[in-house]
Amino acid sequence: MARRSKIHVGIEIGTSKTCLVVGEVKPDSAIKILGIGETKSAGVRKGEIFDYAQTRACLRDALAKAEDAADVEIGSVYLAVTGSHIQGVNHRGTYRLPDGEPVVGPEHVEEARTIAREVHIPPDHVYIHPIIRNYWLDGLEHSTSPVGLFGKTVEADFHVVHGIGTRIQNSIKLVREMPLEVDDIVFSPIATAQMALNREHRENGALVIDIGGGTTDYALYLGGVITASGCIPVGGDHVTNDIHLVTNLPFSKAEQLKITEGDASGDPAKSVGTARLHDDRGFAEVEVSRAVLNETIHQRLEETLRLVLRQLPEGSVDAIGAGVFLTGGTSLMRGFDELAYQVFGRDIYRPEPPEISGIQASFRDPRYATAIGLIRYALIVEAERVSPPGFFGRITRMFLPFGN
Amino acid sequence: MISHSRASRPIVDPSSVKIIGIGGAGANHIERVALDGMDAASLLLLSADARVLGACVAPEKIQLGESLLKGLGAGGDPELGEKALLEAEPALRRSIDGHEFVFICVGLGGGTGSGAAPAVARIAREAGAFVVVIATMPFAFEGKRRREQADDALAKLSAHASALITFDNNRMGETVLAKQGAHDAFAATDQLIGESIRAITRIVTRPGLIHLGLDDLISALGDAASPCLFGSGLADGKDRSSAALRKAIASPLLDQGALLKDAQTVLVHACGGEDLTLLEIELLMQGLQKFVRDDAHLIFGAAIDPSLGGALSLTLISSLPDGSFLPAVRELPAARELPAEKTFAEPAAKSQAQPEEAPLFATTPSIEKQAPEPEIFPAPSSPAADAAESSSFELFESAPTAARQTEEPPAPEPEPAAAPKRAKKPPEAEPDPQKVKLSVKATGTQSELSLDSVPRGRFEGENPNVFEGEDLDLPPFLRKKK
Repeated sequence: MARRSKIHVGIEIGTSKTCLVVGEVKPDSAIKILGIGETKSAGVRKGEIFDYAQTRACLRDALAKAEDAADVEIGSVYLAVTGSHIQGVNHRGTYRLPDGEPVVGPEHVEEARTIAREVHIPPDHVYIHPIIRNYWLDGLEHSTSPVGLFGKTVEADFHVVHGIGTRIQNSIKLVREMPLEVDDIVFSPIATAQMALNREHRENGALVIDIGGGTTDYALYLGGVITASGCIPVGGDHVTNDIHLVTNLPFSKAEQLKITEGDASGDPAKSVGTARLHDDRGFAEVEVSRAVLNETIHQRLEETLRLVLRQLPEGSVDAIGAGVFLTGGTSLMRGFDELAYQVFGRDIYRPEPPEISGIQASFRDPRYATAIGLIRYALIVEAERVSPPGFFGRITRMFLPFGN
Repeated sequence: MISHSRASRPIVDPSSVKIIGIGGAGANHIERVALDGMDAASLLLLSADARVLGACVAPEKIQLGESLLKGLGAGGDPELGEKALLEAEPALRRSIDGHEFVFICVGLGGGTGSGAAPAVARIAREAGAFVVVIATMPFAFEGKRRREQADDALAKLSAHASALITFDNNRMGETVLAKQGAHDAFAATDQLIGESIRAITRIVTRPGLIHLGLDDLISALGDAASPCLFGSGLADGKDRSSAALRKAIASPLLDQGALLKDAQTVLVHACGGEDLTLLEIELLMQGLQKFVRDDAHLIFGAAIDPSLGGALSLTLISSLPDGSFLPAVRELPAARELPAEKTFAEPAAKSQAQPEEAPLFATTPSIEKQAPEPEIFPAPSSPAADAAESSSFELFESAPTAARQTEEPPAPEPEPAAAPKRAKKPPEAEPDPQKVKLSVKATGTQSELSLDSVPRGRFEGENPNVFEGEDLDLPPFLRKKK
């Protein structure tokens, strides 16, 4: 007898929009998106909340919309967090087996894991995820736990994501006030990667860049495991702000120009003439030289991508086999793929939407990549959580199908 | 309509500029100047050492102490240097005669330079010239004796010179040498000195649309204890105004413009071809506003020079408030860039003095020079000030500065805001070298914080979004750091 389908909800409180995605995970692990609730964010800058009252109102609005659309009552959610204070570091824990115990036991592996997780982080930081990358047994790589094998030294290689505790607590508090339970918090790029990359991509090496309104989040996978992740506090807002500062246009016009006319490729052929915005009566109310507009956008985005490039471990870009996957609202910018190619010199892709059913239009939109990724993340976490109970758990579940 | 030519109002005719190098260091400076081309100005080398005289390319040379020293150097004895000069005095007078503007380049601390320079300055003044002395101070490791000799000479010079700029070799030791070969460092200094000579000459010799006078120059260079900031850039093409500004700011003495934040008076001189537009000047000044304080005193001058063709040249001259010190020039590459720009400059520059020309070869490193602690004294310092000078020339002026400050209202633009501040500083200044270092750091950080004054649009009022040392909230388009 199969488990019944389960509903997961992902929340992303982004700089430009707050969105909730309600997804149904079928017993065969297929995902169906039931509904999306989205509202424009207020009170969030560079991925971090600075005005709780406003953000709370937005979240409440989005929650109502999502419940409406999906026709379910939402009780608990997965929350994506980001912000430049969050960092990912790799750390390896080594444990030498005691004499006379030639076979690796579960407790030895556990010891190595504990050591690996003990990364030195600033005192105000907390761990968000310890993600196991792989195990090493006497210098030989193992992708699964080496329990039961002969060996002397067990090493566990972790990717540990940590950030400032209070800021993360405040995000959680906000969601709890809805009131909603928080199942788990997830660093945004890791959620995005769940949706953007499949196993093959990760095996071959892939970089996901989620360039949103206020932040640019990235996650690098090499050899099937996460190698680097982080956040650069620059996004589409900065592009708009740059246009505003350079051309002195008001924000609304700058934003409109960015969306309708901007090009990030830095190709001089696309920077000829002037870009105009017309008002309702057809008059040109705003005129900007394309050269200035495009150069402003180009320099900002190029700098951002170069910052990402600089954050990655040395030589890792050469190891990317599958390519660079761009998501997030700003990735819709014209010429952004060309620019990304100039910077990374790797194939550039927009992630293929994975096998998800539901409202096609919404999950094809890269702006929802993170929130949908949360559902996939939930699915994976759930799978890990469910299996450990082992036989007894499974029996119980068979008799208590309405459990969980 | 009757066209009215507003062209000529030069104070100084280019051909009446004379550049005199004294001693070994002076020889290197003017060699650089000669190689870079200095149109009408005449170059003169004074040296006691026959080998230096023989090796230098200067067109005019006078051997000092022909009978006294017999073709050898002064051996580090200023008295000998002075006597040797007096022997050659008639020849020197003949040579200076008729020149209105005299630069004296000298490395202080040795015999010939320290001994002869004050006398040369006096002779030039007596001949009625405006005398600008560019002196390099010896390294600390050269010993106390040389430092004392240099200080003595500087005190004497300040009495005779109309303006005095000093470059402190210690500065070079701390900054340039740490990262770069000695050759490069010395060559960079030579070039910097050559550039400042040419920039100053151009400012005073080109008839200006908006004229700058010697008074403006003195006021920008501040008082004796203020390290000189200097940058110049030349660019052509569509975006020439911002490109020229960028290059000027890239000068190693400006530390990417960060140091301008502390300057109270900044002299800006823009020189362009016939097609120089007001808009360009406006853009230029707007760009510059980002680097200077709101209340800084900007002295602006513009001139038309047909020989520039389509190019625009920009010169920034300023000085730090006394007591503040140049933080380490982070990357000397900035100095290296200058040669690269030169390809640009050359065509337009040929006929005329241009700020950037590459060092074609490195000059011998035996000479001392560089890194600015340039300072200028208004010509007639009172004896009291002089006395102060000699004791206080240790990089920092202490109380005497204040004294001089007060008794020297002659500066035509007295910078009312600046003066009281300076007067306050001296009590804090201490000759203790440790303190000196600390104060360096303080200046560095402060100037970075002051970036906040730039408009930041929607991120106004937030903490700077600093990531890897750059404030990401400001448009890269405007930061133009690359």
